[in-house]
Amino acid sequence: MTKEVSLEIDLGHLHLKNPIMPASGTFDVRCTLLNENELNRLGAVVVKSIAFKEREGNSEPRTCETDCGLLNAVGVPSKGVEYFIKEELPLLKKANNIIIVSLLGNSVEDFCNLAEYLNKIEEISALEINLSCPNLNNGIPFGVNEDKLYELIFNIKKNTSKPIIAKLSPNVSDIKKMALSVQSAGAEIVTIANTFMGMAIDIDKQLPRLGNNIGGLSGPAIRPIVVRMIWEIAQVIDIPIIGVGGVCCAEDAIEMFLVGASAVQVGSANFSNPYMMLEIITGIKRYLKEQKHNSIQDIIGLIKD
Amino acid sequence: MENPRDINSILTKGKIIEQVNLSNNYHKIKIKAPQIPQEAKPGQFVMLSKWKIKELFLKRPFSFYNIEPNLGTFDILYKNIGKGTQILAESKIGDLVELIGPLGNGFNIPENTRKVAVVARGIGVAPLIPLMLESKKRGIEIYSFLSAQTENLLLCSNKIESISRETFYTTDDGTKGAKGKVTGFLEKILKEIVVDVVYTCGSKRLAKHIRNLQKKYNFLAFVSLEEHMACGIGTCKGCVRKTKYGYKRVCKEGPVFPVEEVIFND
Repeated sequence: MTKEVSLEIDLGHLHLKNPIMPASGTFDVRCTLLNENELNRLGAVVVKSIAFKEREGNSEPRTCETDCGLLNAVGVPSKGVEYFIKEELPLLKKANNIIIVSLLGNSVEDFCNLAEYLNKIEEISALEINLSCPNLNNGIPFGVNEDKLYELIFNIKKNTSKPIIAKLSPNVSDIKKMALSVQSAGAEIVTIANTFMGMAIDIDKQLPRLGNNIGGLSGPAIRPIVVRMIWEIAQVIDIPIIGVGGVCCAEDAIEMFLVGASAVQVGSANFSNPYMMLEIITGIKRYLKEQKHNSIQDIIGLIKD
Repeated sequence: MENPRDINSILTKGKIIEQVNLSNNYHKIKIKAPQIPQEAKPGQFVMLSKWKIKELFLKRPFSFYNIEPNLGTFDILYKNIGKGTQILAESKIGDLVELIGPLGNGFNIPENTRKVAVVARGIGVAPLIPLMLESKKRGIEIYSFLSAQTENLLLCSNKIESISRETFYTTDDGTKGAKGKVTGFLEKILKEIVVDVVYTCGSKRLAKHIRNLQKKYNFLAFVSLEEHMACGIGTCKGCVRKTKYGYKRVCKEGPVFPVEEVIFND
């Protein structure tokens, strides 16, 4: 009998049965096609960013497909934290033992209040801080300024004992500085990266295609840039990296492991194929067997400087 | 409260078994995918791809134009307007497609409905035809009001005439029926008889006219909306339209909405 390969991975204090999870905003436990068994096969579930109070999101149109990608300006609609706890959390508990909650705020205080509020909820495994949503009104996300980034993460840490995952914005000139900043502020894990700011125009109507004019680009178009960023960050930080951006198959995820990601989130590809994450898990196992590795850990960060 | 297990939509493969060019860029395609028509209701839709994810990223939504559970098939009408529909137009009998469906809420036919009107422009008739067939089955009288740029874009008119008590046409160029507003005909009928429900699809302009007539003649009215969709199942929150109750997802809370709930701001 051949030995089953291990996909188990540690992200700081989090122990995952495998390294595949949805990217925030691309998974909703209230309307997934996956049944409970299938949801439990994921390494973790990650919920769409929640805000303290209800927010309605941007005006339509909110999405537009571009070459090899998806531009979105959904604008993080949220029914607020109380709705989340009452309506979503019970379903998430059945779905997976690792629940990662993405947080959104407009100020340090906002984030801290949310973090403190959620700290008492045992079932939440970690908080992912959405530092980079480009769709907010003031247009200046925390994630583009290393001092603001430090201040935010440092203060959130004071309000929660849960592991903090800093989801970085790729819309910066030096991603390494941002990663170092969140590491020194106390983040246990970094997710790299959120969407890239983009724009698309309807040349017949001579108007932007998104209601918000600009939006975030995801999909295969951005993957090589994210792979480069993971590789760069992996050389300078000691905390684990979650890679995300355009992963559409096991091979795409494997690229990210090889350059130093310990886990991979699958984002907008879930929209095309709701079973994508499960297919990727199977594909990674196959790859490891073929390459004669016993564990996913054998291939993480094989490609160095 | 929605529960993952309550969703009866599935991801499945389908086979193209018929492809007909109706007129200009308008096509009809018949797909065999037995589980989908078993569950499908008039007004619902499928997300469809006939491409690999790295060729074209997302699936595209298509309403059911014909649902045949006994044959395990359904039809969709589409206009060839972009990369996805171009690939579809080039497809051959026997080609496979990937489907998620059936999706969305279908049309509601209230109990005790006796007379309905359907109002559509161009390809907007597609999702209304299964509704008309279902209404006919229930003994409901149907009045149809169709408009298009020109005669050969009045799609499926023979079929509609055969189901309807009366059919009215308007074309922009006067090649069939009258020139002018199709809702003008609708108002004439509304003055003469009691129509319980008016259904429409696609055109914001038509829906707005119907909303105005509704205030005057008091009937139920439903519109099937279209919007760009990324996932089709409610996850991405991308396909919203503004309603009296805030943004609603066209794929999940819709695509069919009571006309009076939708805010048409242009």
